Amino acid sequence: MNEDLEKIREAKKAWEEGPLAKTIKKFPYCTPESSRFYSPLDVEDFDFLEKVGFPGTYPFTAGTFAVEPLAGLARFAHMAGSGEGTGQIPGAGPTRAAIYSGYGTPEDTRDYYKGLLERGGRGGPNLAFDLPTQCGYDSDDPLVEGEVGKVGVCVDSLADFEIIYEPYQGDLNLDRIASNFTINAPANVIIAMYAALAEKRGVPLEKLRATPQNDILKEYVARGTYIFPPKPALRMFRDSLLFICKNMPNVNITSIGGYHIREAGATREQDLAFSMAIAIAYLQVGVDAGLHVDEFAPRFTFNAFGGSMEILKEIAFQRAARRMYARILKERFGAKDDRSMRIRQVLGAHIGPSSTTLQRPLNNLTRAVLGAVASVMSGGRPLPFPPYDEPLGLGWSLEAMQLATDAGRIITCEAKLLEYTDPFAGSYCMEAMTDEIENAAWEELEKIEKMGGAVAAIENGYMQREVSRSAYERQRAMETCQRLVVGVNCFTGEDELEVTTNRLVPNPYDPVKREQAEERQRERLAEIKKSRDNKEVARLLNELKDLAAKEEENLIPHLIECVKAYATEGEICNVLREVFGEFQAVSPF
Amino acid sequence: MSTTTGKKVIRVLVAKPGLDGHDQGAKVIAYGLKDEGFEVIYTGLRRTPEEIANAAVDEDVDVIGLSILSGAHLSIVRRLMALLKEKGVAEKMVLVGGIIPAEDIPKLKEMGVAEVFVSGTYISQVAEFIRSRVGDS
Repeated sequence: MNEDLEKIREAKKAWEEGPLAKTIKKFPYCTPESSRFYSPLDVEDFDFLEKVGFPGTYPFTAGTFAVEPLAGLARFAHMAGSGEGTGQIPGAGPTRAAIYSGYGTPEDTRDYYKGLLERGGRGGPNLAFDLPTQCGYDSDDPLVEGEVGKVGVCVDSLADFEIIYEPYQGDLNLDRIASNFTINAPANVIIAMYAALAEKRGVPLEKLRATPQNDILKEYVARGTYIFPPKPALRMFRDSLLFICKNMPNVNITSIGGYHIREAGATREQDLAFSMAIAIAYLQVGVDAGLHVDEFAPRFTFNAFGGSMEILKEIAFQRAARRMYARILKERFGAKDDRSMRIRQVLGAHIGPSSTTLQRPLNNLTRAVLGAVASVMSGGRPLPFPPYDEPLGLGWSLEAMQLATDAGRIITCEAKLLEYTDPFAGSYCMEAMTDEIENAAWEELEKIEKMGGAVAAIENGYMQREVSRSAYERQRAMETCQRLVVGVNCFTGEDELEVTTNRLVPNPYDPVKREQAEERQRERLAEIKKSRDNKEVARLLNELKDLAAKEEENLIPHLIECVKAYATEGEICNVLREVFGEFQAVSPF
Repeated sequence: MSTTTGKKVIRVLVAKPGLDGHDQGAKVIAYGLKDEGFEVIYTGLRRTPEEIANAAVDEDVDVIGLSILSGAHLSIVRRLMALLKEKGVAEKMVLVGGIIPAEDIPKLKEMGVAEVFVSGTYISQVAEFIRSRVGDS
């Protein structure tokens, strides 16, 4: 082996002094870095089993599963009709029932889902909540004027959940569908509502399938929908972890999002290190509560890692993330069950909205396709994301969604990219980049560990500041053309055609309804507050206050009682605000 | 052009109204304008129009920059403008940045917003705009 390397070293030297030097002399704008070539010298200690292994086996570099379960379905992709509510068939892409959705009032969202089901959809809802719901305010709170029903559906009380789930009955009852909830700070209230709805319908909790996002720590670093300080927030995380483990074995505990942190400006290495630090904090919560890691880690999922246009690095990043997580689980937490060590994520290495441009927006389709290519080539799904009109701020048009879906189908059926698992395994370039990213992330993780872990690094503002700094550097790089964005800071001359786009298919959500959503919801909330047993609500909220003050109490059983009595999310969160306090952001300067 | 009016450094309040927590843009502009020589005050997340108007008066700023990505820009700006008028400081320059649909930009300007900066804007453009308007007043 060493002799071989010696020979390669000599050959490299000869190449550098000969052809390479000659070419650079001829083309002075070329440097060895401008088109780098990797050789075995870049991965001298490469050991296939230690670094890569077979797909679905430790350290999971090559893939989370032995065969991506969806890959086998690819040849049936053409059989999925349009509007078919199964996001399961990869070629079908994000079919309309599976996409992240939520419109205005619960009635509006119910009608939207009803329409999908009438057209043959089968999937459960993937609920987007409006910001008041995400931040723990009721629709009638003066603070939230203008925001009710804007970026998702508003949920004030169990009555709203009952309405949203009206179309899901019979063979689509709660034991037959899976629900997704993009909710973090008040996740436990939403989990309680889902449990209460199941109880009222006579569906046993152990039959429920759902994924709450329930990833509060990244909210402090990115995205910003926090309520309480990190410590009580982690206590709430403990409550959901334990309650789910004990009562709802088919519900995921959390969906950890590296992608949000990247979108907020983090570098690839920060994204990986911060996400791992956050995952460690959650894992430690379970361990501290007395569970063995294998009892709960298999119920951890990831939303997505990824986010840039540099697709080779993103492929390396996915591989590094899988390996790093597996190592943390096995070496640090002593996991024995493979299922604990797997990164299960809905999306793979997609780009994010921050890679899209307002200028010549159709170019975003090209960008999203590149992201989807990176995704399939690193073990993810062929889901081009986001639809090209994302930066226009008008909501995705049906035509943009159609083209995104079609692009996924083309990747699957025509380019056949799903037919190979980790095609870059063993590539000198890919393995070297994978090592590089993982090593840098370990180094950054160590720094955070020295501070006391993710919670400490959030409380002292370190993670937030680092991400903001990186975001600023990214902007500077764009302004100085060190980072080129087509149509924004280059190729913007007079000869370029500023291609624009129009919406051809009307949005299914009636603009008049959208306009009136806030008012309609306030009226309904007022009715609920009038018709419920307000004495009982007051008693339950008082009791909640006492229980919340006792750190060892698991609040979820009581939250289920509260929501059954139609106590609102805002009322519950206000009680918890009194006990836990509210998070005060650290200055970015 | 300079970042001063007379002898005073131009003061900019960067504010994040509403519940939207995507504050990358707000922080980037805050850092950037600071580097451009302005005095920058950043409000942090979830500020009501009332809090922003009060901060603008208390901090005696020349410019209020709002970062809004949630789609709630029309109602937020309408309220803020009314409050500034009420407090007798309607002359303060109000800028809006974020995700603003093209059709809403004229509506914002009609309400009195001096300029709307969308994705792809250079910080230097914002800085120049402020200098040209505030510096000359």
